[in-house]
Amino acid sequence: MIKTLLCAMLALLINASIAVADTATRGKLTIWLGYPETLEAFKVGEREFKKLYPNVELEILTFELREFEAKLAISVPTGTGPDILVLHDFLFPRYFDGDALDTVPADLVAMVNDPKIIDKPFTDIVARDGKPWGVPWWTGRSALFYNIDHFKEAGLSGPPQTVEQYWEYAEKLTRKAPSGELTRAGVSIRLTGPSGGTQKFGYLYYQLTGEQLLEPGAKPGTVRVTINKHLDAAAKLLLDHVTHLHGAKKSDDWALKHDAQGFASGAASMFLREAWVIAFVKKNGPDINFGVAPMPRGAAWGAFNFIDILSVNKGSKMKSAAWDFVRTLQGQKVLDNILEVSGWIPLRKDRDYSAFIAKEPRYKPLMELPAGYTQYIEAPNLAYEEITTRVGEVIQNGFRDAALLNNMDGAKRVMQRAHDTAVKLLKEQDIYSD
Amino acid sequence: MANMASDATASAAWRARLSAYLARLRRQHIVWVICALGPIFLLFVLIRVYPIIETIRLSFYRYHITQRNRPFIGLANYERLLEDEAFHTALWNTIQFATLALVLTLLLAFIVALLLRSIERAAPVYELLLYIPVVTPWVPASVIWKWIFDPIYGVLNYVLSLIGLPKLAWLQDPNIIIYAIVLVSVWKLMGYFVVVYGVGLRNIPDEILEAAELDGATPWQRLRYIILPLMRPLILFTVIICTIIYFNIFAPVYVLTASAQGAPAYDLKVVITEIYQNAFVFYRMGYAGAQSVIMLLFVMSLVGLQYFLLRERN
Repeated sequence: MIKTLLCAMLALLINASIAVADTATRGKLTIWLGYPETLEAFKVGEREFKKLYPNVELEILTFELREFEAKLAISVPTGTGPDILVLHDFLFPRYFDGDALDTVPADLVAMVNDPKIIDKPFTDIVARDGKPWGVPWWTGRSALFYNIDHFKEAGLSGPPQTVEQYWEYAEKLTRKAPSGELTRAGVSIRLTGPSGGTQKFGYLYYQLTGEQLLEPGAKPGTVRVTINKHLDAAAKLLLDHVTHLHGAKKSDDWALKHDAQGFASGAASMFLREAWVIAFVKKNGPDINFGVAPMPRGAAWGAFNFIDILSVNKGSKMKSAAWDFVRTLQGQKVLDNILEVSGWIPLRKDRDYSAFIAKEPRYKPLMELPAGYTQYIEAPNLAYEEITTRVGEVIQNGFRDAALLNNMDGAKRVMQRAHDTAVKLLKEQDIYSD
Repeated sequence: MANMASDATASAAWRARLSAYLARLRRQHIVWVICALGPIFLLFVLIRVYPIIETIRLSFYRYHITQRNRPFIGLANYERLLEDEAFHTALWNTIQFATLALVLTLLLAFIVALLLRSIERAAPVYELLLYIPVVTPWVPASVIWKWIFDPIYGVLNYVLSLIGLPKLAWLQDPNIIIYAIVLVSVWKLMGYFVVVYGVGLRNIPDEILEAAELDGATPWQRLRYIILPLMRPLILFTVIICTIIYFNIFAPVYVLTASAQGAPAYDLKVVITEIYQNAFVFYRMGYAGAQSVIMLLFVMSLVGLQYFLLRERN
């Protein structure tokens, strides 16, 4: 009798073990993407992954960015959502603080912590007390994009090297109709979309001050607002924008096509944006002869980065397979595809991109960084969207105010308001840092 | 005497039977009513009443979707509303937009319906044509208008240039964008109200108007003293419907002002876009709840006021 019972228990145990092993090698791995242009890279990774897990089905769904963020926000805290969390840096604290991230396996920890593989600013974003909770994957690095033909036509031999030159060149590149109406923007300024507006204003602010508008605070997840500290520089920068939107030096107008579309259609001669623009303009403006240059420098010199991070959902039933897929996504073929198809820049430095750069040298200023060119990243925090939106609204309303022309005191008041707005929102969320 | 007593007893018994039968019928009727309306009522409570109650409850909490700590904060969300400039701007824009759009939509619809009454045979064709925008969903309609409003390639500016008028930055100029959205909204909804007013006007007996005409009433007097009073209940209905629609405007504002990277538009704030942004972009569900409650109270008060002013009086 005892023998029979033992046999039955053993059989049950074996069955249970088989079932557990089966869950790890059979089932569905779900991934959601907010940047659909990276889908193809995931497909390349899938082919490698299938060799390891032939019975695991990969479901990769793409969404519009805001929809993606909302879906994650609703699903992950309830223990559902995708197995692999592809998070932008500013979303990361939300899920870390919500205890939604699985522990990173030791080999990937070693990889992320190795400064020869991943640069420290990017490791710091995903780490808490020295322990990474995700794998930094690619970056959207800022640069200056300029139309070579427009530059030649204006007698300019190369891209602006300094912030002063940036504005000076913008005036020279601008074209007007006899009626005075702008037909071509010397520079396409980010005039709408307040959240992005804060970011783009911040690109130049960093060069002038050596700090971002919002810097990481003393404690992870907290934020320090720097506008007050650099009020003169901030107000001067606002005045530079106002001067080039109104009056004699006007170099951009709300009525013109803007941003990448404006640049790809030849309606703008230069603008500041991120690496993806290269792929975009090649596709949407194949006739545009353009170059890419590092950011114009001021007192400081650096490129803004926003990164995508690969983490695994703590609620996933296939954590082991999910981490294996994250490992697969580190492969050369996948990273090449990210570069070629989406234009985002892989963060792994130990891979060889020379063949790609030889084929498309416009990536060189973005990937082979000159000495002294700092890489910085925004301060991820819970209130990121709200702060950047509200601060951007204040700044962009300032752009529209022609009364600010030559009005330093007025510009200071606007920037002080931007500062106060940010501080108020940070205090509300208890993430303000002095 | 005995016969009379037995008659009375029989009559009482008959009456008792009748009242028992009626009571049974009433009970059955109640059961029938509960069976017939109960599920619909439950569904109504579930999808209409419960979300409102839940929204009111949420408005007293600091509820951020991704945060586990969701403390009760009393009226703090409402206090914040008092100093939230974005909300004030949105509310003011919504009032301006709704007032202008409502007046234009209903006035134009009424004029068109009056004109169509005089060409009764062809009226259905025009009503059909005017109704096409009503059945076009807001999003594609707004996308089409986005192209029409384009400052460089848009047909509207082209038409303006043909008659020697300067080009306008319809969606980029903060002073003009509200009119652009009013234009789209009037175009979209006017057809519905033309049909509603058309039905109302057709129900006014010709004899009354003819009699008034024979009595020497001018067209204006007929409109003022016959048509408008008779149309009053319908006007009340359309004003209320239009108020609710326009105070809840979202899709055209969202689509027309969403600053696609290439074609920036001014970020016109209306209350619903503010609620959407707080709830689904900033994830401040509690605060968005407070905004929704204020909006609900505001629109309900307005509708109540309209009802009070426009109701039929004896």
